[in-house]
Amino acid sequence: MTRPLLDLVKTRTVLLDGAMGTELMARGLAQGVAPELWNVERPEIVKDIHAAYFAAGADVVSTNSFGGTPLKLSAHGLGGRAYELNFTAARLAREAAPAGRYVAGSMGPTGKFLKPQGEFSEEDFGAAYAEQARALSDGGADVLLVETQYDLREAVAAIRGARRVSPLPVFVTMTFNAFPRGYFTLMGDSAAKSAAELDKEGAVAVGANCTLASDQMAGCVRALQAATALPLIAQANAGQPVVGPDGRIGYSQALEDYVRFVPEIVRAGARFVGGCCGTNPSFIRAMARVIQEERS
Amino acid sequence: MTKNEILAKMSEAIVAGDRAAAATLAGEAVRSGLDLLEVIEQGYVPGIQKVGELWEQGEYFLPELITSAEAMKEAMAVLKPELNRRNIGTRMSGRVVIGTVEGDIHDIGKNLVASMLQAGGFEVFDLGADVKLERFIEKAEAVGAGMICLSALLTTTMTNQGRLIGLLRDKGLRDKYKVLVGGAPASHKWAEEIGADGFAENAVAAVKLAKSLAGRP
Repeated sequence: MTRPLLDLVKTRTVLLDGAMGTELMARGLAQGVAPELWNVERPEIVKDIHAAYFAAGADVVSTNSFGGTPLKLSAHGLGGRAYELNFTAARLAREAAPAGRYVAGSMGPTGKFLKPQGEFSEEDFGAAYAEQARALSDGGADVLLVETQYDLREAVAAIRGARRVSPLPVFVTMTFNAFPRGYFTLMGDSAAKSAAELDKEGAVAVGANCTLASDQMAGCVRALQAATALPLIAQANAGQPVVGPDGRIGYSQALEDYVRFVPEIVRAGARFVGGCCGTNPSFIRAMARVIQEERS
Repeated sequence: MTKNEILAKMSEAIVAGDRAAAATLAGEAVRSGLDLLEVIEQGYVPGIQKVGELWEQGEYFLPELITSAEAMKEAMAVLKPELNRRNIGTRMSGRVVIGTVEGDIHDIGKNLVASMLQAGGFEVFDLGADVKLERFIEKAEAVGAGMICLSALLTTTMTNQGRLIGLLRDKGLRDKYKVLVGGAPASHKWAEEIGADGFAENAVAAVKLAKSLAGRP
């Protein structure tokens, strides 16, 4: 039997995967189509992407269910298919996973706001995340990854919703902007406050993803570490989107530049590292090498 | 209270995001026959400008921005009918059509820009998210807008911002509208690249940009 991910991370740095959406687009997913739909319509492609990340050295892949809360899916008219799409997401990643590797059930933000800025209550959000968590658990995820959260209250609602229906450990990443005063979410919660509160709510690993480039991530990890003893997660973007000379859109950090900062992120205290927007299996392969070198 | 004290209180109500106070002060201004343009320009507008500064300094975040914009809206809702009754033009900054481009369902940033533009005196026509490019033009033509604001969160949908400008050119309408682009992947360079009239990093910058393009202080 595979040892629990939380035991593994006590012994070494654990490698997560990189971007999913852009990989799907590169294989023909059309604009405006919910990526989760491909779990049932093009399952072989989703599995191939997971397999590519595992082959690159990822210990954990995250399921193709980032936009899979019923609230988010309903923007595509797919709210009623949340269970099916999430269950399949987890099953595909499970099938792609070699023995001893792990599947994290991705749960991205609803894209809605809680009252008073929005229409929704914590109970609404909790129910939406619970439905997704149940399907991801049933489909075979090892852990749940509530990710890219910009509102601490929503992240807390997600943890509570997930814990109501699933025994799986809950990981949470929030997305922070860098300000002169420190790292803050869109809603104004600091990295330290977020880490402390998520810890208190029962998350077993917390961290930061998206928004920050790899050269900005170590500072954010240190800010998180000041507030919690939980293992930390860091998944940086490959810089900012830029328009290439051919009119194609890419990211400002090339692979070498991105990977250069990985040792610093690890030394800052990140135990789970991976990529976010602008990264792909090549980035993960390079990170695997760097992490290996750091270890030896 | 002197007039200056009242104007200062109006500004404070906006900075504090106090909707009730903002509306009550506006009602008092109407009843006591104050110069309502002065009330707006020296009472409420400095308040929303201060909010913008606090946001830029990283002191205010999205919740504060939204409540302040709401307070501004409440005050304007009280003042507007009286301005109309007194037949005073509000010197509105202009009409703006805004939306998230087709293929993209993200609307948080776009909603914030729409609110702040409204608080900044623009008449805003918000088409929502995943908006067909033709609809932006149809709406702008129908309401006599001077500006079209396009939001995109994804690198894969931002190209539609460029396509809209192409569509305007094809229809011979390019010079009729100022086109502003925004959203996480957009940038000044991108705006230049596609021939947009401007890019704003955030909602506060968007209002500044829109005002300067509309020739307003």
